[in-house]
Amino acid sequence: MNTWIIMMHELRRLFRSRTMLLNMLLLPLVLIFLLGASLSGVVGAKEAAKIEPVRVAVVNTGDGGAEASVMTKAFLETPEVKDILIPVETGSREAAESGLRTGKYAYAVIVPPGFDQGVQRGGQAELEFILGKDHTGNLVAGTAFDNFLRELNYKQAVAVTLGPQALTASSASAKNTGVVLGELNNGGKTYTAAQFYAASMLLMFLLYSGLTVTGSLFGDRENRTLLRINSMPVKDWQVFVGKMLGVGLVSILQCLAIILLSDWLFGVYWGNRPGLLLLFCLLMIIASMTLSVLVCLFSRTSATAANMISVLTVGMTFISGGMAPLPDSWVNSVGAFTLNHWAQQAIIRMMLHSGLEQLLPNLWVMCLISAVLFGAVIVSYRKVGYHA
Amino acid sequence: MALAVLSDVVKRYDGKLIVDHVNFNIQEGEIFGLLGPNGAGKSTTISMICGLLKADNGEIIIDGVSVREKPLEVKKRIGLVPQELALYENMSAADNVSFFGKLYGLRGKLLKERTREALAFTGLSDRARDKPSTFSGGMKRRLNIACAIMHRPRLIIMDEPTVGIDPQSRNHILESVKLLNQMGSAVIYTSHYMEEVAAICDRVAIMDQGHIIACGTESELRERVAHEEKIIVKAANITPALVKELEQHPRVSRVEAVQDAIALYLPSSQSALQDILFIFAKHEGVIASLNIEEPDLETLFLSLTGRTLRD
Repeated sequence: MNTWIIMMHELRRLFRSRTMLLNMLLLPLVLIFLLGASLSGVVGAKEAAKIEPVRVAVVNTGDGGAEASVMTKAFLETPEVKDILIPVETGSREAAESGLRTGKYAYAVIVPPGFDQGVQRGGQAELEFILGKDHTGNLVAGTAFDNFLRELNYKQAVAVTLGPQALTASSASAKNTGVVLGELNNGGKTYTAAQFYAASMLLMFLLYSGLTVTGSLFGDRENRTLLRINSMPVKDWQVFVGKMLGVGLVSILQCLAIILLSDWLFGVYWGNRPGLLLLFCLLMIIASMTLSVLVCLFSRTSATAANMISVLTVGMTFISGGMAPLPDSWVNSVGAFTLNHWAQQAIIRMMLHSGLEQLLPNLWVMCLISAVLFGAVIVSYRKVGYHA
Repeated sequence: MALAVLSDVVKRYDGKLIVDHVNFNIQEGEIFGLLGPNGAGKSTTISMICGLLKADNGEIIIDGVSVREKPLEVKKRIGLVPQELALYENMSAADNVSFFGKLYGLRGKLLKERTREALAFTGLSDRARDKPSTFSGGMKRRLNIACAIMHRPRLIIMDEPTVGIDPQSRNHILESVKLLNQMGSAVIYTSHYMEEVAAICDRVAIMDQGHIIACGTESELRERVAHEEKIIVKAANITPALVKELEQHPRVSRVEAVQDAIALYLPSSQSALQDILFIFAKHEGVIASLNIEEPDLETLFLSLTGRTLRD
């Protein structure tokens, strides 16, 4: 009963502190939003860029429509090219240049007189390009026309060296558009920066629950209320366990709030295994609390304990790659010795719908870490105790 | 009948003897004063009575129960008012009392009733909903007491409860101690203020360097120094030569000079008064007032240890 009374007292005490509530709930959400929005280029894969069709001025410098290049026209009318280029027949070079200057066209192609005949006679296929103001438009149109010319010159070379029959055979088998748009990340799911930082910040703030442990254990010592409680018919372990249950419960509520609010406010998808996600969070809470208890039991002042826990929390979050994914290096290898590493890896995998067999190793490691720290707390408590 | 019995109690810290074979009894309904300078061992003795510290040797029995064997049973019978404030600053006065009441096993209606009673007893009823952070030092001290008495303990231990407070709150606390005693609780009252202990305690034990150097009623203790009187002379122009000549007088046992006053201890003031006045005149010391005081606990402490309580 005393344990229950102390736990309820601890909960009331913690929920009365506005600063603590802000730090526990608002700060992680703000960080998830800021980091997710500002570092989206650093983490995860972006949406594949969409190529907008480029308006191309086509100037046939031959004498009227009869001189217009059939080859060029055929190329521009293939469906794949139509998706990326919008050809506009322009009467003169001057009109094309004027359109480029005003932005009416993004690119211009000058087809020399007798282009088709020249190619058919075995001459080299050459077009004149005038670049526009837009770099992407220049790149897209340039690539398409380069491919077109390369294809023509390749066929010329084949015809000259192997004879026209070879050209016919190669035409039958080859696809001649020269342009095929691929799709990025067609093979599986990916995660966003918001998801990455939601997982990272959740774990960091669960580690920070260690500071609540420090405040709870040292608070009663420093304001002498522990002395009074010790003079009452309450066993020392009841005080200790009651406090830990109170802090643990607050951490669980914090964890649920971060998950649900980040989902609701920023659309963070936490994966398809909510039960397992909560189990990982629970193990993280146990591990961080027990780690903090160990620090507190062997620290003389709350300031020393709080500093040590802050350094451990930020250090472990950074080394585990929680601030930004780290390249392969010794730092990354050291990350495997942090609590965050195992939990974060598992949460990201859950977000990517990984199979259970990929999550179980992380679960066992987290269970092992929690059990070892829990055991260390029991041994240390028996040795040092918690009293005024 | 003895409510508390301390037999041969010893406590050491790092090999140093802090409480040295202490023996005393506290009777039911008694206010027992524990007087001594800072570092005398009073708080350590109290901590052992409350079960906060384990005695290295000896036995402490409270209401027939051994502290060593059944500490929780003893703690139910005791209310400790710690020397330093032990309150939750961010909780209301009523919540503070109520929380500690729950830990004493009070529940429901009884808890509410006792919380109200304790706050009324300490004159804090109208501030029950306010937080201690808004209280004056004296009010905090009173709340500190309220948190220790709501379970109506058989023995209330007050460890220097009047340190650093205004005279009005001090009087309120001293009156409260008497009232609690009249309501049936025995009280152990520790202080280094001799006047407080003399005013409210039935019996007094004087402690110094871990020992009980004297124990009894105030009159019994005064008897021990009845042979010594104290003359306080307030004067201008007190010179070292004047003090030296007073010290050398055969009937003066001790001289204390403090700024514009000199305290003289001697077996009989009448026999040496003329000589003393002569010495002052000789050294051109201008006497403003002269008082002959009855021996008190301070005198006793001085005669037993050669030091004052506030040293």
